[in-house]
Amino acid sequence: MKGGAPFSAYAAFWVSSAVFLAGFATLGVRLHEEQIVNAAAHARRMASQSHRTVQTSGLRGRILDRRGEPLADNRLSLCVAVDAAAFRGPGDVEERLAAAAAAVARAVGRPPDVPEAAVRRHLRLELPRLLILWRGLSEDELARFEENSFRFPGFECVTEAERIYPQGATAAHLAGRVGRDRKPVQSGDSRPDYIDREPCGREGLELQYDEYLRGVPGEERLLVDARGFSAGRETVAPARPGPDLVLTVDLALQRAAEAQLAGLCGACAAIDPRNGAVRVLASAPSYNPGECVPVLSEATYRRLAEDPGKPLLARAVAGTYAPGSTFKLVTALAGLSAGHAASETRFCDGAWELGGMKIKCARIWGHGELDLPHALCESCNPYFCGLGVAAGIGELARTARILGLGSRTGIDFPADAAGLVPDAAWKESRRGAPWRTGDLAQMSIGQGMLLATPLQMARLAAAVGSGRIATPRLNAALPPDVRPLPFSAGQLEAVRLGMRLVVDGGTGRRGGEGVEARVIGKTGTAQVGSGATRRKNAWFVAYATPTAASRTQEPLAVALIVEDGESGGTTAAPRVAEILKAFYNRGHAAAQPQSPAPAPAQAGGGAA
Amino acid sequence: MNVRTFAARFDWVSFLSAVALTGIGAAALASAGEARGTAFMASRWKSMLATAAVGFVLYFAIAFSDYRRLLDRFAIPAYVLSIVSLVAVLVVGSVQFGGRRWLWFFQPSEVAKLCTLAFLAHVFGSWRAEGFRGFKAFLAACAAMGLPVVLILLEPDLGTALVLIPAAVAMLLVTGVWRKGIVALLAAAAVAASALLGAVCEAERPGVAPERREAIRRFIPLRDHQIARVKTFLFPETDALGAGYNLRQARMAIGSGGAGGKGWKRGEAVRRGLLPPMGAMTDFIFCAWAEETGFLKGSLPLLALFAALCISTARVALAAADLRGRMLATGVATLVFAHVYVNLGMSLGLVPVTGLPLPFVSLGRTFLATVLCALGLAQSVSLHREEYGE
Repeated sequence: MKGGAPFSAYAAFWVSSAVFLAGFATLGVRLHEEQIVNAAAHARRMASQSHRTVQTSGLRGRILDRRGEPLADNRLSLCVAVDAAAFRGPGDVEERLAAAAAAVARAVGRPPDVPEAAVRRHLRLELPRLLILWRGLSEDELARFEENSFRFPGFECVTEAERIYPQGATAAHLAGRVGRDRKPVQSGDSRPDYIDREPCGREGLELQYDEYLRGVPGEERLLVDARGFSAGRETVAPARPGPDLVLTVDLALQRAAEAQLAGLCGACAAIDPRNGAVRVLASAPSYNPGECVPVLSEATYRRLAEDPGKPLLARAVAGTYAPGSTFKLVTALAGLSAGHAASETRFCDGAWELGGMKIKCARIWGHGELDLPHALCESCNPYFCGLGVAAGIGELARTARILGLGSRTGIDFPADAAGLVPDAAWKESRRGAPWRTGDLAQMSIGQGMLLATPLQMARLAAAVGSGRIATPRLNAALPPDVRPLPFSAGQLEAVRLGMRLVVDGGTGRRGGEGVEARVIGKTGTAQVGSGATRRKNAWFVAYATPTAASRTQEPLAVALIVEDGESGGTTAAPRVAEILKAFYNRGHAAAQPQSPAPAPAQAGGGAA
Repeated sequence: MNVRTFAARFDWVSFLSAVALTGIGAAALASAGEARGTAFMASRWKSMLATAAVGFVLYFAIAFSDYRRLLDRFAIPAYVLSIVSLVAVLVVGSVQFGGRRWLWFFQPSEVAKLCTLAFLAHVFGSWRAEGFRGFKAFLAACAAMGLPVVLILLEPDLGTALVLIPAAVAMLLVTGVWRKGIVALLAAAAVAASALLGAVCEAERPGVAPERREAIRRFIPLRDHQIARVKTFLFPETDALGAGYNLRQARMAIGSGGAGGKGWKRGEAVRRGLLPPMGAMTDFIFCAWAEETGFLKGSLPLLALFAALCISTARVALAAADLRGRMLATGVATLVFAHVYVNLGMSLGLVPVTGLPLPFVSLGRTFLATVLCALGLAQSVSLHREEYGE
């Protein structure tokens, strides 16, 4: 093979080189296509395949009373969570995780809070996220976990915000409760892969101000590997806490009111007549919302729902009762509006009769001649039957509605019963019977078909006492909504005089005893049911204005009802007096907060 | 051989390319191994470098020996031994990743590639076989080549068998053994491959009735997983989670690297397990490399180095002292090229997925040592050329 390279050598080189070059060029072109031309698409696809976004929830705002004492707060609960990524590998992840969880359970001392089905569901649907297996760990349990934690790869201690109601059963209806969010609320345009379940208001103010209290959602990005396990996480935007809700409610006074209702069925509402600020909204019996969070178990719900005392009913706003004699304030104003003078007297002979109907007076031998203030003072039934019949149903119903009865009060609360102010049209359409004078007479003394809530009655007392009617409000940030009443000062003054007489020596003389304020009021004893179920609901509505000796210079209107009581004067009035003492008297025990406010859990910033 | 002669005859381009590619391989393996998370995998690059060191020692030992003497002495026993070990591996080999390929610490099929090429060069390149170019020679060549190919196919290791054929055919074309027959055979192979592709295409095309699919499949001489691979090659989008998954992930990894790459040891495909765990260090390691280094800093330099290596090795044929030298140079260059083309081509959707390592880069010590020995042999041809004026 001497004498220069033979032809085959050149051919071998050139042909093979040409083939090689063509091959490498093809590869180069394809690489250029993938890495330069399609690079963005590939990168996008990889990102979408490798990231999961999580909408994290911010801490729910607190609910505070007017002094900043919390009705609803957050607490950090210690949890043990597991990242399934630690159990990836060939074979059954669930089995390995369950075995590890069993080991942790031995260390912690109790089985996981999460059922197996939920673990399976988590592995199927939320694989890259942490799964909380134990909630609400005690210090001891946590210590036992921590000292063994090196044996438990994949398990870690995390904290979770937990809604708590530090006041317990106090103001339970008011605060309401949260439940687990049923439908995740998505914020913004982007569609997150997972949305953190955050508590959702189910009742009371938690429901009314659910949107307001919710934290501002944040965004977290989970990096996932090919099998969907987490491979890292980063916070894109931190979640921010929701604003606190500051109420007009006075928790000290609320406690005083609930103390008066302890062991009874009843309710109490108190509002500031100047602006409708609700100071008390107490319903008894109450329940402990602590046992209803984070979820209201079916057993708990059944126990509460089947309790004959109906603890779930917020009687102060949703309980409708016949107002009884307290309604005579309305009848009095209706009569005055209809042109009857306050000084005009009527004769009471112990009963009011019409046809076969007979309405007795409390004083069976009669009061004799009475003018309007004294009729109120004595709560004389025949007087007001006569006055109401004289004024007519139109005037009476109109006056009742002006004073806020028969319609929702407009309070910023989910429960707000309208009650009922019957009239001829209503009776005909609902009962199919014509309106009779007897109905009007019954209505004039607050009986019959008439229904009102304690809040409506407190509002009525406030309206009569101040001459202006206000929409009750719980959120301190809401602007007051106050309208003057279409009654003359003289008309109102005549009724107030009657109310003063009630307290100064009339039926409600125990309503102002020992109170460092001027108190006027009206008792009521409403008959409900008949025969064996016949009971008496005891009412007292009061309007108090401060004196120089009062601790506070705020006026207050109170309505209190005790179901199955003796009479307004003996059952309700002294209880109202105690509540008013708690508000006005210096050095009263209830004036100070009973328990130091628990430390809030890194809680919410801005006040409402 | 004095220093000047050595410097003039030494194929610097292929040697330096090989050194550079060894470095790239170590870097790629260091990154991919670290992502696996075990100390063993994280240290594989060191073991590859150690193997490369031994390989380069062999490389120079072979390069400084006269390839003619090496062939005379070792070509036949090496071929026989490789056939024996290929048989042995079928009998007592250990199974890994669906193939019976391992004999203790090495893969006989990798060594057999070099032994077969050397054997072919020795038999058909020697002066004794100068007249032996007819049909009988062709049959003999087919037998010599076919025996290891069939044994490797039995393992089964389709990829390794397939790259041996072009290298052997290239060598035979250089010798001039029955060129017409070889060309005709290549044409026939091309027709057969097209027919096969066509048949698979017809059978696996989305929306074909199952009975018809079964009927056509009966005539396709491929195993089910091979049909699946061809199908994935033809219709990558039909089965994004099954057989097409790896291919899709591989292309995504390469593509998402873009022009500049994501940075060494920052590749997501390996770190998040998008590529099959073992494949990320062996057959799919180019994807990891391309993702981390990008087109300009990683893929293109790698391609350029391989091109330089192959063409420079093929160029040795021009100066080779004899036919055996030309055959060796062409065969080794074609072998390396075939590996690179098939390996990269499968990740890029140019050829069906077949398990085949990328020289220098994929984890595999037997193969690295074999490639370095093969290049050493080509280097020996370059060093032992005969030129006038010396």
